[in-house]
Amino acid sequence: MSDTQQPIRPAVVIGGNRIPFARSNGPYSKASNQDMLTAALDGLVARFGLQGQRLGGVAAGAVLKHSKDFNLVRESVLGTSLSAQTPAYDVQMACATGMEAIGSLANKIKLGQIDSAIGGGVDTTSDAPIAVSEGLRSVLMDLSRARSTSPKLKAISRIRPRDLAPNAPGTGEPRTGLSMGDHQAITTKAWKISREAQDELALASHKNLAAAYERNFFDDLITPFAGVSKDTNLRADSTIEKLASLKPAFGKNLGAEATMTAGNSTPLTDGASAVLLGSEDYAREHDLPMLANFVDFEAAAVDFVHGADGLLMAPAYAVARMLKRNNLTLQDFDFYEIHEAFAGTVLSTLAAWDDPEFCKNKLGLEAPLGAIDRSKLNVNGSSLAAGHPFAATGGRLVATLAKMLHEKGSGRGLISVCAAGGQGVVAILEAR
Amino acid sequence: MIARTRVVLDAAPSLGSLYAKATGARLRQMLPDAKREALDLPHVEHQLAHVPVDPAKLVAYQRLMGDTVRDTLPSVFVHGLVFPLAMSVMVRDDFPLPLLGMVHLSNQVNHVASIPVDATLGAIAWAESMRGHRAGTAVDVIVEVTDGTRVLWRGVSTYLARGVWLGSKPGSQTEARTPFVAPARTGSWKLAADTGRAYAAVMGDYNPIHLSAFSAKALGLQRAIAHGMYMAGRALAGATPQSTGYDWEIEFATPAFLPSSVDVAFEDKADGMSFSGWGARSGKPHFSGSITVAPRTSASGE
Repeated sequence: MSDTQQPIRPAVVIGGNRIPFARSNGPYSKASNQDMLTAALDGLVARFGLQGQRLGGVAAGAVLKHSKDFNLVRESVLGTSLSAQTPAYDVQMACATGMEAIGSLANKIKLGQIDSAIGGGVDTTSDAPIAVSEGLRSVLMDLSRARSTSPKLKAISRIRPRDLAPNAPGTGEPRTGLSMGDHQAITTKAWKISREAQDELALASHKNLAAAYERNFFDDLITPFAGVSKDTNLRADSTIEKLASLKPAFGKNLGAEATMTAGNSTPLTDGASAVLLGSEDYAREHDLPMLANFVDFEAAAVDFVHGADGLLMAPAYAVARMLKRNNLTLQDFDFYEIHEAFAGTVLSTLAAWDDPEFCKNKLGLEAPLGAIDRSKLNVNGSSLAAGHPFAATGGRLVATLAKMLHEKGSGRGLISVCAAGGQGVVAILEAR
Repeated sequence: MIARTRVVLDAAPSLGSLYAKATGARLRQMLPDAKREALDLPHVEHQLAHVPVDPAKLVAYQRLMGDTVRDTLPSVFVHGLVFPLAMSVMVRDDFPLPLLGMVHLSNQVNHVASIPVDATLGAIAWAESMRGHRAGTAVDVIVEVTDGTRVLWRGVSTYLARGVWLGSKPGSQTEARTPFVAPARTGSWKLAADTGRAYAAVMGDYNPIHLSAFSAKALGLQRAIAHGMYMAGRALAGATPQSTGYDWEIEFATPAFLPSSVDVAFEDKADGMSFSGWGARSGKPHFSGSITVAPRTSASGE
């Protein structure tokens, strides 16, 4: 064992695997988070021959989680053919869960603490946890603490009929009471993003994803699950007319100015993804491909509660900080993977980076980050077409981008993922 | 200023009995205008030597407002603790304005310093500044909460006795009101039909106009309306500093009929925050206010 610290070494993306994403309450209705995460891991293990291996760590998570799934990832690992000596832990950072899991594992590899890892995520809104009401829960807890009949009866007598209604998880932000879509509607309006621009982005997402399937791009990134072999939200035959005919789904309080529809917003989706990371030595020793280096990642958060920023605008800040640290400009990338929570999110973020006032006042930059070449944006489709099983999106993005960079053989890619709670995680990958 | 006679109360009167008394007072005060003209506010202040704080009520309040459970008293919770004392002044036989049916116009509060749950608190309340208002007669009810050595909390609640004129009725004073334009919302509150009962269960304020459509109708309202202090409490939850003092104020416009969907907007200011709320469907303004965080060196009583 060395008594000096090792220099930082590259963390390499070796490959990825996901199950097709399926619209909620569809083909995966009976699948649990553990079932789906295990399936994604199984496929990855099979693809890269990891059977029996003790990996350095497996980190993943789910946004909507049952309390029984307190060790979701470890339980999933125990269900795979990975060595039972592979440690695993759960991460939870809303829609940035997958990115945070993968990024922190990459850091461990860079520091030489571990040589190999799997990061990813899973989510289902079809098998969501239902909880008892706060009123009933309070009574049940007092009941369990009561030691004699009298306090027990007193506790039971507090139950009211309305307490018997269960609580389903909501999509509202706890501190504002607004749904994520209604929050984005505020931002979309503030940045004057048109309905047409959002519909065009949505259409491009479907067209690009369909084309990627057409050229078998996903053959080594997806394993079928529950009879599904392709993302069920994909509408290859979607048209701008069809999208334009949809009624507003969010920001309906804006009346005629409402622009966000079910077509330019992601649907609730079930699915899981996993990404294999390793050191260069690990990849070489196991004769595994090296698609891209996981160069850096950055998290940011904004104060959306009191209206200072839009709920989903944190990546605008994270990218500015990460670019500065890496001496890069926004134009130094060959691919941009900007998670399409809503078309409005992508377009608001791009508008912010190109806005001198926002870049000066909010990001503290003398000059705006500028515009990007839109032909490099989400070239194989993104969440509007594929769907968005919250915690699984990070793994989809990293695996997709790493493969694209490897195919190109050179260059750099930027990932940007927004998340509930006014957070976001962004990352840089470099081709190998 | 005329000196006030101090009346020391042994314990906080219950709001239930005060509301009952207020009903009587309302009948008693249906005096001809001429007789009321000479009336003045009673020159008294009511004192409560000890204001009890129930930690369980504090937790219930913080849960109700969606605030974090802490061992310091939220400003609107303090208002609720001393509201019975303020009421005791307003239900006095010599208080010239009818209590029931009075409209709550605004609050201005100096939350001078953080108040721990185990602080030994006393309070003094009095009424002052009875004055003409375009819709009747307005009056300020002042409450000061002390820890025995200094004022920790000072609140001015302004009420309006609508259609009650102390002197002769003023001529047509039609102030040009600028129409309300809702700002971009930053949040939305869904106020359930039982919001008034939930607030009453915690703060003991069983004012019939907040409890149910039935009890509100008995007092001439079409439905129960949201309690102003409930909305103030929601606005302040999570928005006030914990370790320093602050000032806040709220002004009420139109009532929010329950159940109600209230859109709210918060905006950062250099020295704090401003906020407003309006009916999501009606577009009518319910309240607006601000929180000001300023370094304070000392606090004066009056």
